[in-house]
Amino acid sequence: MLWRLLRTHISASQLIGFSLANLVGLTIVILAVQFYRDVQPVFDDEESFIRKDYLVITRNVTSAGAMMGGTSEFSDQDIADIESQPWCRQVGRFTSSEFSINATIGLGDSGRAMRSQFFFESIPTDFIDVADAEWTFDPARPEVPVIVSRDYLSLYNFGFAATQGLPRISEGQMGMIPLSFTFSGNGLNEAMPGRIVGFSNRLNTVIVPDEFMHWANKRYGDGDVTHPLRLIIEVNSPGDVAIEDYMAQHHYDVAGDKMNSSKANYFLTVIVSIVIAVGVVISLLSFFVLMLSIYLLLQKNTRRLQDLLLLGYSPAQVSKPYMLLVLCINAAVLVLAVVLMLLARLWYMPMLHAFGVAGASVLPAIAVGLVIMALITAGNLMAIRRKVAALWLQ
Amino acid sequence: MEKIELINTLPQVFAGRDRVPSQVWQCDLSIERGQHYLIVAESGTGKSSLCAYLYGYRVDYSGTMRFDGRDIRSLTVAEWCQVRQRHIAYLPQEMRLFPELTAMENVQLKNRLTSHKTDREILDWFEALGIPDKVHSPVAKLSIGQQQRVAIIRTLCQPADFILLDEPVSHLDDANNRIVADMVQAEAQRQGAGIIATSVGNHLQLEQFIVKSL
Repeated sequence: MLWRLLRTHISASQLIGFSLANLVGLTIVILAVQFYRDVQPVFDDEESFIRKDYLVITRNVTSAGAMMGGTSEFSDQDIADIESQPWCRQVGRFTSSEFSINATIGLGDSGRAMRSQFFFESIPTDFIDVADAEWTFDPARPEVPVIVSRDYLSLYNFGFAATQGLPRISEGQMGMIPLSFTFSGNGLNEAMPGRIVGFSNRLNTVIVPDEFMHWANKRYGDGDVTHPLRLIIEVNSPGDVAIEDYMAQHHYDVAGDKMNSSKANYFLTVIVSIVIAVGVVISLLSFFVLMLSIYLLLQKNTRRLQDLLLLGYSPAQVSKPYMLLVLCINAAVLVLAVVLMLLARLWYMPMLHAFGVAGASVLPAIAVGLVIMALITAGNLMAIRRKVAALWLQ
Repeated sequence: MEKIELINTLPQVFAGRDRVPSQVWQCDLSIERGQHYLIVAESGTGKSSLCAYLYGYRVDYSGTMRFDGRDIRSLTVAEWCQVRQRHIAYLPQEMRLFPELTAMENVQLKNRLTSHKTDREILDWFEALGIPDKVHSPVAKLSIGQQQRVAIIRTLCQPADFILLDEPVSHLDDANNRIVADMVQAEAQRQGAGIIATSVGNHLQLEQFIVKSL
């Protein structure tokens, strides 16, 4: 009966307007949070097997320099000079393969295979954080572990698979793909299975264990070549300006992938922040719409509410129907927003899978929605309380 | 609640007047439980204001009002709700019924809060006041006199130490005045409650009463 009395003047259109606006705002916010968390690992340049304070450098060769007999190799002198710098902890040389390699990548049940000329490089094992058991080579049980540039995976997924109608593969699946190498040189022609143990953003090459490289260069080639084309340097702090100056002065290039991905990561953060801000603004506006709607409602029902108070109803009792109304609406909006977010996620996740992203937990995004909704609801309930309390004296 | 005291009280609108000729304002007045009071007043002498002060929804007066010695300005909202549910039954002059609800629903709105009367007792009152056919009519469809009777029934649907009636019979004929007076007195007697009735002309026909002129 109380409800029948107090529901007069409730404007369905105002409430629907509020609900829709709040739904849009809240969905934008939690979807942005969820999307950011899902996408973030793509840009994250944390790599498990190469630490952050390692730099990979090459000599910058201009065409003019090349014509004048310049070389892109690092001499022993160059290396000694780098080693003598205060910011340098240790220098590792890239060793390249001095023999011919053919790689065959099986493509599952289709029976098709990709065959390609290949090359290997190796760096000292100290620079690579992979379990020793995975990163070894034993000529008695030959299997070659490799770390591949992540670009190769992208090249396959977005170039090859997309146009040839082949399935896309994630990083996790990559390790299970049959891979074999044929090495030739010194009159030998031998095949060995290979295994991808990881992907790297920062090493734009194919890395094999040093052990294997020494063994293979001896067996198929003329031994290691001493002057490397690339160096890997462990530094005290990668952001040091002295390093940058030194590299510029000597015309050395630092592998730039890390920089790019941090820029992309930065822009992702900026864009997501803007989107979240827009969502929050919409939510705030909708909050005020509901607030106005409630004020108007209480205003129109002032006399009824005062009459009920005179009968001995407490302010809490007469506010309860309105509070329940707000709670129900807000709860429904929250549930709907989460459902919409999950639906949108179902739609975009397959695209992210191609980047080898498994997706983050949805709980933090739901928690964000819950907190926002709790704040909005608290604001609404407080407004109702204050408004009804103000009706006490007539 | 045994006693209501008014100590030198005066509505703020009367402030500045030299001397208000009144047995209520600017006096020390004690209203006892079990006694019947008729407050006779001319229009505009603060009769409804007095009721509003005693029911806690206006505070624009000077002086002190006390329930059993306690200044009523210090009562909390929760305590006022208790007063309105358990201690003072009030019939406002403008009745304040809900026109969109039926007569019975209006009464139930109060009775549900206090669980004081059975449906049977309420229907008997409708019968006694000659409006049994209006039980389920929306109040908006009733005449003023009929509405006044519904409002009286609603007022009596609660336990009370004092029954405060602001012009309870202004729209009733003599016969109905008599019936209402009997009903109110019977209910007051049953609970040992006091009656405070105001009037500008048509007095509630109480059997014994103390007259105070405003």
